[in-house]
Amino acid sequence: MRNIGLIVMREFKERVYKKSFIITTLLMPLLFALISVAPTLIMFYSKGETKQISVIDNSGIIAERLESNEEVEFIIIPNGDLQQELKNTLDKEEFGVLYIGEDIVTNTNNIQLYTNTSSSMTIEESIAGQVEDIIEQVRLKEYNIENLREILDKVEVNISLTTYRNDKEDSAASSSAASSLVGIILGFVLYFFLVIYGSIVMQSIIEEKSSRILEVLVSTVRPFDMMMGKILGVAAVAATQIVIWGVLIIGISALVVPAIMPEDVLSGVEAVKAGADISALSADVDADMITALASVTDTGYITQIIVLLLLFMVGGFLLYAAMYAAVGASVDNAQDAQQLTTPITIPIIFGFIILTMVMNDPNSPLIFWCSMIPFTSPIVMMGRIPSGIPTWEIVTSLAVLYATFVAMVYLAGKIYKVGIFMHGKKPTFKDLYQWLKY
Amino acid sequence: MSNIISAEHITKRFTNHTALDDVSVAIPEGSVYGLLGPNGAGKTTLIRVINRITIPDQGSVLFDGKPISQQDIYRIGYLPEERGLYKKMKVGEQALFLARLKGLSRHEALVRLKQWFIRFGIEDWWDKKVEDLSKGMAQKIQFIVTVLHQPKLLIFDEPFSGFDPINANLLKQEILRLKEEGATVIFSTHNMASVEEICDHITLINKAKNILSGRVEDIRRSHGNNIFDIQFRGEEDSFRQSTTAAELLEYNHDPITGLSTAKIHIAADSDVRNIIAAVNQAVELRSFTEIIPSMNDIFIRTVAECK
Repeated sequence: MRNIGLIVMREFKERVYKKSFIITTLLMPLLFALISVAPTLIMFYSKGETKQISVIDNSGIIAERLESNEEVEFIIIPNGDLQQELKNTLDKEEFGVLYIGEDIVTNTNNIQLYTNTSSSMTIEESIAGQVEDIIEQVRLKEYNIENLREILDKVEVNISLTTYRNDKEDSAASSSAASSLVGIILGFVLYFFLVIYGSIVMQSIIEEKSSRILEVLVSTVRPFDMMMGKILGVAAVAATQIVIWGVLIIGISALVVPAIMPEDVLSGVEAVKAGADISALSADVDADMITALASVTDTGYITQIIVLLLLFMVGGFLLYAAMYAAVGASVDNAQDAQQLTTPITIPIIFGFIILTMVMNDPNSPLIFWCSMIPFTSPIVMMGRIPSGIPTWEIVTSLAVLYATFVAMVYLAGKIYKVGIFMHGKKPTFKDLYQWLKY
Repeated sequence: MSNIISAEHITKRFTNHTALDDVSVAIPEGSVYGLLGPNGAGKTTLIRVINRITIPDQGSVLFDGKPISQQDIYRIGYLPEERGLYKKMKVGEQALFLARLKGLSRHEALVRLKQWFIRFGIEDWWDKKVEDLSKGMAQKIQFIVTVLHQPKLLIFDEPFSGFDPINANLLKQEILRLKEEGATVIFSTHNMASVEEICDHITLINKAKNILSGRVEDIRRSHGNNIFDIQFRGEEDSFRQSTTAAELLEYNHDPITGLSTAKIHIAADSDVRNIIAAVNQAVELRSFTEIIPSMNDIFIRTVAECK
């Protein structure tokens, strides 16, 4: 036991004190945050200068109602000639010419935009939207009904469906969109941890084998202890990373998110957290978003999720790391490992594919069983947990996972023991099976 | 003298070949014991069996008269043939890690390491990374780590391979010093000169079998072929007449010094004293020595006989 401890410490120090670990651990959440706000930022900064568009309106009803804004400025050219104006805008370096046909109200296709540079989706949509509204107004007027616009507005319906769990004690409103998104993200994180940290274990065993440090260690440390020390040491590194991220996320959601939320949304979120009925809230805030934000900023909920993530991550990692360790010990270099790692990566990728189906129905039989079978359970279970599943399912899944790990580490230890002394020959599955029987 | 290691009837089979076939060795306490044999004979497997790295199919190993246990490992220092270190780790940190794996406390390991580093004059290596060391430098570190916990038994697998002559000599001195301090040393080697120099006992393993075992001196003497080297001053004819009872193999005369040398073979059943007396009477005898074969010759001859 003392030796396992020493090896765990060495593995842990070697990785955690590395600059690259500290940098990636701190930068990854920043990168995630950046990616999530990137679209808004890009929109914000890409506005650029106001584009001038000359308008030739042969119908005489559209041009005067077009409203210029930050993006486009409409310049009305009365009785303009299209060919002449095209030339003019080119000389004046304007954005382009909008040509509206005489029969635009009846023939809505008779409208063209000529641009002098590449066009943009936002400008096209903004122009089309304005013109559509104008034509709609004109058409409505033709019916000669008083206040028709207001009547139509009142008729329009926009419902928001709030879901409550009937089978749970606390019947807080839950948003299935938000929970499946959280689930996918968690499953994704787990997938990456299994693949990345699993192959770290394999790589470093290959390295120890080829540098022959194993030969030196093996006289004082039992091979099994060496392998366990390696697996647990790397697991500790992965857990450290999750804990750091967890603390960062809890910190951000508890302090930063409330600070940047708009006033009315914040009060809505507070009300939901306090147990208020969501239907009592004003109708102009999106109920789904409020419930999502309420759960994302609920520190207790996040802590619970992160603890479960940690349990499944460690269990899944231990299981897969044992297999990666066996492969690492049997080969001389990373190239030879490729064939042997195939049966390890297939269940991980399969689990990942199943994860993407969780969104449709987190309780379908296929998904249920995949969240019980240890090779896919860590990834699939993480996808299911945010949508709220019975505790017994989580406990059973964890128990099966850890039991399989114990069995796997026993088998891996046997292969490891023989494999570390095998040099020169690329082992096959048949060889590995032989070594199990030594 | 008691045996620190008795390996009895060790057999170890791998899938396609037998590495050890009923091999027994007894290693006396306080000796320097050489394990000889051609490549692939089974030396490393035997060493691994003694180290408890490999479990034999049959046979047992006694350490100090009792079946060897995991605890005994801390009383053994093992320097494998293929040896490495963590390249990215610092020398001092790494030595400390390896020393603690052998049961030393952090403090104890630190004190002893400092002493050894001073002794080898390598104090300034402490904070260097292993990848910046040369091969010879790394071997010194490995040697220190092997002996640091003052084991009763030291096992060196091919210790001289890869050492330059200066370091090889340093290693030889250290082995002899360790022996003086009461340790037992087992080493496997191809370097026969070093065997004659420092080994008390040897075992020769060939094709998984122990084919020759014993004290170096006894073995060399028993492999003598009754060939004698004679130096004298005198007439060739009278010398030839005096040795008719033996077989003259070689005769040389050096006209400058006036000395003659000859090699004779004396039949096992005839008395050497009679021939000495006859030669002594015929010529002026300067020396009469039995030619004891070198370990190198014995090694080659014994292995060849096995075929």
